[in-house]
Amino acid sequence: MFVKNLVKQSLPLLILCGLGAIIAGSTLGLMNASDPNENLFLRIPGLIIVIPAVIAMRGNISTAFGSRLGSAYHLGIIDADNLLNEELKQNIMGSLFLSFFMSFLIGVLAYFISLFLGVSPNPIMIISIVLIAGVLSGLILSFMTIGIIYLVFKRGYDPDNITGPALATFGDIITILCIFASAVFVGGFF
Amino acid sequence: MIYSWKKIVKTGLPLLTLAVFVEIFAGSILQGKIDTLVGLTIFLISIPVINSVGGNIGSVLGSRIASGLHVGYIDASLKDKKMHENLITSIFIGISTYILLSIVIYYIGTFGNIEMSIGFIEFVGIFVSTGFFLICIVAFSSIIAAFISFKKGLDPDDMVAPVVTTVGDVFGIVILFFMISVFGVGI
Repeated sequence: MFVKNLVKQSLPLLILCGLGAIIAGSTLGLMNASDPNENLFLRIPGLIIVIPAVIAMRGNISTAFGSRLGSAYHLGIIDADNLLNEELKQNIMGSLFLSFFMSFLIGVLAYFISLFLGVSPNPIMIISIVLIAGVLSGLILSFMTIGIIYLVFKRGYDPDNITGPALATFGDIITILCIFASAVFVGGFF
Repeated sequence: MIYSWKKIVKTGLPLLTLAVFVEIFAGSILQGKIDTLVGLTIFLISIPVINSVGGNIGSVLGSRIASGLHVGYIDASLKDKKMHENLITSIFIGISTYILLSIVIYYIGTFGNIEMSIGFIEFVGIFVSTGFFLICIVAFSSIIAAFISFKKGLDPDDMVAPVVTTVGDVFGIVILFFMISVFGVGI
């Protein structure tokens, strides 16, 4: 029974998250154009170094945000009718500040590691790409989390069971799309 | 007021900084293998998939073991029967997921006009064997992280997920390139 439950409950969700990750991976594939002049990873050396770090940062910050909102719900601090209050504002600000600091750190580290690996990116370029992607994805995911939490409250589900997998799946896709957009945008200035 | 942004930043910074350092290391492996990735886009598409499935399996296993430790039906011992049962089921679920997803990715590659100088069997072989070794490492670190944090009086629920996803990201990339060279594909 025990094993059967584990298979029945987690296999479908695992496959769904995997399909979401394929969309995320395909976005990386789009950035890796076969024409060398349009291939972002060749045009912006060091860009690929930041990708695992930005995805992991986004995942850590937003799942922590989601589980804090889940606990806040269980503690009775927020609910569907009292969602946009000061507690939520502090949570969003905390997540965004963390995203800002961490993105800056990732950009700086990626620059120095690139020098060590013999590729020399423009430091301002790589740091701006990470900062824009990190803060933009943080903003989008914060609003998405609030939307998910609101729907979950309205239906009376436990947010702890829903927000984690939902954020993990959408988070990766949105983060890579933000890196893509930010690399194209910042790349236009150099 | 329970939450303040300063407290959230202060609690989050140490673990996040550590994770960023490890993930930058994973990224520099990608930079070192950029020629293989540019030539074989299908592996670039596979990386988020391999890592996300590995991370999810480890997190599910970790939180099941954490609950078992909290409630008391699992002992913090490497010989625990219930823990073995969870471990073997996770490996089974993981391999089934990896097989299915590798087939989906190969067909997306074929129909999406992605340059592919790799056969179906080779790709599925590399993908699934990477997945198998990754699950073993991720499951092991998840169990160890759950046991150690439980014995130290920390909540395993807070510790397991960040440890497992970070370990999984690095090993996913390392094992993938190792298997690519074992199969003798690429540059």
